[in-house]
Amino acid sequence: MRQRERSSVRPHRARSAFSGAVIVKNIRIWLTGLIVTIAAIALPVMVFSSKPVQANVSPADVLPVHVTHTSHVDLMPGPYATGQEVTRACLTCHPNEATEVMATSHWTWESQPFTIEGREEPVTIGKINQINNFCVSAIGNQKSCTSCHVGYGWEEGTANANLEVAENVDCLVCHAQGGYAKGSYGNPAEGIDLAVAAQSVAAPSRDNCGACHFDGGGGNGVKHGDLDSSLSYPVAETDVHMGELNLLCTDCHSTHDHEIKGRLVADNYVVAPEEQVACTDCHAADVHTDERLNTHLDAVACQTCHIPSMATQNPTKMYWDWSTAGLELQEDEHYTYLKIKGSFEYATNVQPDYLWFNGNLAYRYLLGDTIDPTRPTMINLPAGAIDDPTAKIFPFKIHVAKQPYDTVHDYLLAPITAGPNGYWTTFDWDNAFRLAEERMGLAYSGEYSFTETWMYWPTTHMVQPSENALQCTDCHSANGRLDWEALGYPGDPMDWGGR
Amino acid sequence: MRLPRTPVWMIGFAAAGLALTAVVAVPVVWAGLASAPAEQASPMHPTYPLLDAQGLNVLESGAPVSTMKTCGTCHDTDYIAAHSFHADLGASESLPVGQSAASQPWERSTGLYGNWDPLTYRFLSPAGDSRIDLTPTEWVQLNATRIVGGGPAEAIAGLEMNCFLCHTTNPSNAERAAAISTGDFAWANTASLLGSGIVSQTGTGYAYNPAAFTAEGELQPAYVMIHDPSNANCAQCHGLAHSSPEPLTTAGRDLDLWQTATTGQIVSPQKISQSGMNLADKAELAWAWDLHAERGLTCVDCHYSLNNPVLVQTGSKSQPDGILFDPRRLEFGEYLQRPSHQFARGQSAQYAVATDLESAMRRCETCHETAETHAWLPYTEQHMNAVACETCHIPEIHAPAVQSVDWTVLTAGAEPVVEWRGVEGDSGTLSDLITGYQPVLLTRTNVDGGSAVAPYNLVTAWYWVYDDPAGPRPVRLEDLQAAYFTGGAYKPEIIRALDTDGDGALVEAELRLDTPEKQSVVAGQLTALGLQNPRLSGEVQPYSINHGVVRGEAALRECVTCHSDESRIGAALTLSTGGPTGVEPVFVGAASALTDGTVARGAAGGSTLTFAPATIGLYQFGHDRVDWVDGFGLLAVLGVLVGVSVHGGLRVATALRQKHAHPAGSIKRVYMYSVYERFWHWFQTFAILLLTFTGLVIHRPDLLGWVGFAQSVVVHNIVAVLLALNAALSLFYHLVSGEIQTFIPRPYGFFDQAIVQTKFYLRGLFKNEPHPFEKTREKKLNPLQQITYFGILNVLLPLQILTGAAMLGVQTFPQVSTWLGGLPFLAPFHSLVAWMFAAFIIMHVYLTTTGHTPLANIEAMMVGWDEVPVNGETHGAADSAPQPAPGD
Repeated sequence: MRQRERSSVRPHRARSAFSGAVIVKNIRIWLTGLIVTIAAIALPVMVFSSKPVQANVSPADVLPVHVTHTSHVDLMPGPYATGQEVTRACLTCHPNEATEVMATSHWTWESQPFTIEGREEPVTIGKINQINNFCVSAIGNQKSCTSCHVGYGWEEGTANANLEVAENVDCLVCHAQGGYAKGSYGNPAEGIDLAVAAQSVAAPSRDNCGACHFDGGGGNGVKHGDLDSSLSYPVAETDVHMGELNLLCTDCHSTHDHEIKGRLVADNYVVAPEEQVACTDCHAADVHTDERLNTHLDAVACQTCHIPSMATQNPTKMYWDWSTAGLELQEDEHYTYLKIKGSFEYATNVQPDYLWFNGNLAYRYLLGDTIDPTRPTMINLPAGAIDDPTAKIFPFKIHVAKQPYDTVHDYLLAPITAGPNGYWTTFDWDNAFRLAEERMGLAYSGEYSFTETWMYWPTTHMVQPSENALQCTDCHSANGRLDWEALGYPGDPMDWGGR
Repeated sequence: MRLPRTPVWMIGFAAAGLALTAVVAVPVVWAGLASAPAEQASPMHPTYPLLDAQGLNVLESGAPVSTMKTCGTCHDTDYIAAHSFHADLGASESLPVGQSAASQPWERSTGLYGNWDPLTYRFLSPAGDSRIDLTPTEWVQLNATRIVGGGPAEAIAGLEMNCFLCHTTNPSNAERAAAISTGDFAWANTASLLGSGIVSQTGTGYAYNPAAFTAEGELQPAYVMIHDPSNANCAQCHGLAHSSPEPLTTAGRDLDLWQTATTGQIVSPQKISQSGMNLADKAELAWAWDLHAERGLTCVDCHYSLNNPVLVQTGSKSQPDGILFDPRRLEFGEYLQRPSHQFARGQSAQYAVATDLESAMRRCETCHETAETHAWLPYTEQHMNAVACETCHIPEIHAPAVQSVDWTVLTAGAEPVVEWRGVEGDSGTLSDLITGYQPVLLTRTNVDGGSAVAPYNLVTAWYWVYDDPAGPRPVRLEDLQAAYFTGGAYKPEIIRALDTDGDGALVEAELRLDTPEKQSVVAGQLTALGLQNPRLSGEVQPYSINHGVVRGEAALRECVTCHSDESRIGAALTLSTGGPTGVEPVFVGAASALTDGTVARGAAGGSTLTFAPATIGLYQFGHDRVDWVDGFGLLAVLGVLVGVSVHGGLRVATALRQKHAHPAGSIKRVYMYSVYERFWHWFQTFAILLLTFTGLVIHRPDLLGWVGFAQSVVVHNIVAVLLALNAALSLFYHLVSGEIQTFIPRPYGFFDQAIVQTKFYLRGLFKNEPHPFEKTREKKLNPLQQITYFGILNVLLPLQILTGAAMLGVQTFPQVSTWLGGLPFLAPFHSLVAWMFAAFIIMHVYLTTTGHTPLANIEAMMVGWDEVPVNGETHGAADSAPQPAPGD
């Protein structure tokens, strides 16, 4: 009926020329048509013009957000007489935190036990029981060395009873953003206003971590070639992550229950990959647009090309000769000679040494291990070889030292340096070793000399902007920095083929 | 504080560490490399005695070393010398003056022996000339640093081919050249060993160092430094090649670095940003000077010996097509005994010696899978065919290159006035700011007959020529000096003529023969010396640019680099900002490069001379257009716009006067357009609008570049295919349904009806007369519409689809496209039709408003139902037809 009516001839009704009444009336019809028509064009255009979706999410898109920490000015009124009082105040609101910290190696200074082939019992490694080739031994020298421990109330010797007490956890060393420093025996330095420090607490900054890790080995840049105070306010050329992107240590070394991701091979034998921070946590594994570069990834660690040199801003210590300590060879000068420590060599823009490295250690010197004093003793030795498919060529700083050993027992000695009777006061090596025997039980024959030791430090920070990365000819040329034959190749793999 | 990078003590420790563990990488000690020769300098080459020309050990005879005898003990040095264009230098191809095909009438060959280059200017005069510039001996002495010996040098001065120059580490080319230039040819080759510790210079001569030899008289292994030519060896004569880790620094502007001076090419693995050069925007140039050098390739990897069994190419002319690889080749021993010293070469414009070896070298695409890596580039093959790899991959030169040399004048130091491009400041030191330059793109003809635009530097030169009895000759430097100077100072006549500022002295800015008066003064001086008909001449040499390749991220990859008004292809290059006037330089020495184009004097003072190459056979979308097509098209569009505006304005005016006066009669609703017809129409509408717009973006990216050229191309192509599909489907529909009839004009009475309809549009419409032909479902179009739509849908649309398809298929079926005229014809034609479409659309949209209400026809096309005024001529056929409800 309706249809007939509409199609019938009817008198012309005058209506506004532009009323569009028909359009409005039939909106459903033509709108559907419009959508279908546009879709018929747009869909093929979208389908055929779309480019393959980039699988790689740019790491820049997932940069961490740094939130402003809750102000503790009103929460921590003070005054506090001791560090322990501050900790007690912290624990009233954060009751589990001290217990968490006490389970970490920042507290225990000791790794989990490792079962090592050739050693009868499982071993642990840490400042609590082992030595390095810098200041040699923390234990016995608690007075000074514990300024880098997250706890208070140390005493000399091996008892370490302070580690049982939750109140000894030093919250401030990692969280205070100002007005805090540690003094002797792990306690706050003299004259610190602990209330000011406590009110400034926040998530750890680079300087919190840097207070110990920039100064590892006893001073700025001593231990690490890739960590020093230039990372406080880094430029992009120093460290592209911390400089250009302002990343904090904890952005990569992510923390759960105060357990921090990322392990140092110097104080561990085996580090499970999931415990370690990896470039691929943020970056795609085959990130290079240049296929030729991606073919390197099986054998070359990211760090090898992207950290072409260490200590780009501040010098790092390469050599430490304890044998000249006390001799007053020259006026004390920070970078060359100190009477208490001996002779040094520092260097900037250091080209790393390159080894096959699978993330673990092949060897760690344990107190009492006998040495061959005619040859350098490896304090640690990275594990990996050309035939180890999990190993990659990796950059290391090698710190070389001449340090004391017992010529009768043929093992390295751990002198007591700090404290009133320590070597730094008496300049009497003999006395320093006898004190150590007393405090640590390391038997001393009465005969000592000095022997060369090497310690390997993986280079993984101070990643430089990509334009500074190594280029082909930095390795593949007559002047190349890799010694192919030492690495186990018959010759340059560009000519002779890879592994 | 900065301490030594690797202290000496580390050497000892590293050695000890090696003993301890095999996996310790020994730190490299740079200092150790620089001092005394390593233990085994050349591990593969056996030790050998140095022999003199008599074959005696030089330790016994004390005579100069004979390379031919020394190396000839094992290697066939006669064969080597006879198969080396480095030795021959064009001598064997040289012809008497006037018979050579070289570019100037006084040249005898295209090689260093017998050619003439205005950059070096000096001329090996043919014997018998009345004025001799260089005797053969003088030629050898003058070119000492660039002559390897053998060939003409051996014939003239007894200089044997010098194996040491190319096959030892750090040979002393300077000492050798010094010996040659003082005429001490006999000891010249021995002199190239100075500094190696084998021989030293005594007050009177040369003495061999006994410590360098074994008891048997052979060189100690440490002194055997024989190897394949390194980049440094080649660089001695060819240009700057830098391989050390130290920052590269060069002020350039040194003709001894020939290739660097003439083009700015530098071969180094170092990143430009890490070099020590004073470069504009250096920090952004974070890639190597030369990608191939960075990837560890050396000169001889590409320019290899042509009988090297490792690198020799299969697929040569002599090989049957059915064979891909021919394993029958020289054994290594055979090759080492007789290594050909003819090297694979490209096809540079200048030196055409050993033309049979031209392009013996592998080309980019012989090593690179270019199709694979350029899949992102639309029309990959088309681009590859038209544009040489170097054009995009050597986008910019970052060192000074010579621009022009004006030998018509002499500076106070008797040098020509030389201009350099790519550099600001003229101190000639590192403190000049290097701005770099973009090479000019000339059409290069490849040996396979194909042609593509490729980068070149153009070097312009002016000089005086006179008529020697034996033919035209360049004026000798000696004569030029005599014309300009007397007693070491400019002649007073010269100063009077050229001293523009009248201060009595000539500065470089005044050294320019830019008026006929100045020219005639100098010509007079030359005539006075007895030179016949001295006259100015000018030439332009293209120097091809093939080194300094960059990777994709630094290459040209933006469409608008070429597809825009500022296209690199066809862009002009400054030839000179000085030089004499009245003599236009002509192109020479460019057998492989087309040099058609326009030389123009710039507006600024008229002193800047530019050259804009012609782009033959290319049509660059976005850059090229045919002016008359666009003019005509625009005129058509504007004409229609004006027409409909006038017509519409009159209609409005008329309507206002005759308010409410509507035609008598009633309105009938007719189902005019089926769903499919409407879909087809609107699909076509949107497609054509989109095509017109994206087409305009492609045509004029200078106006609409913000839309995105690349995206517009993609959308244009896809929508074009959709439009063609839509047209094909609708053709099928109209044929099958018989609706096609509505578009076909009935011949009978067509013209009468057309006139009636025209009259209606011109007159009746204004008087509110009814449309002369009723619109029915079967006969929707009036005669004018019929003829128009017939034209649009059966002529313009197919033409547009055809030309579009031919352009789209320019690399898929290039024969068809070429047969149809190629892009230079197809693209403007496509534009012309597009203009017609645009004009039609305006007319069409306007005419839709001539229904009984302005929107009635558009509404009908949207909903299908039309309201048709019923008048006396109604045929009424539509009424009886069954009709669906709206929206069917």
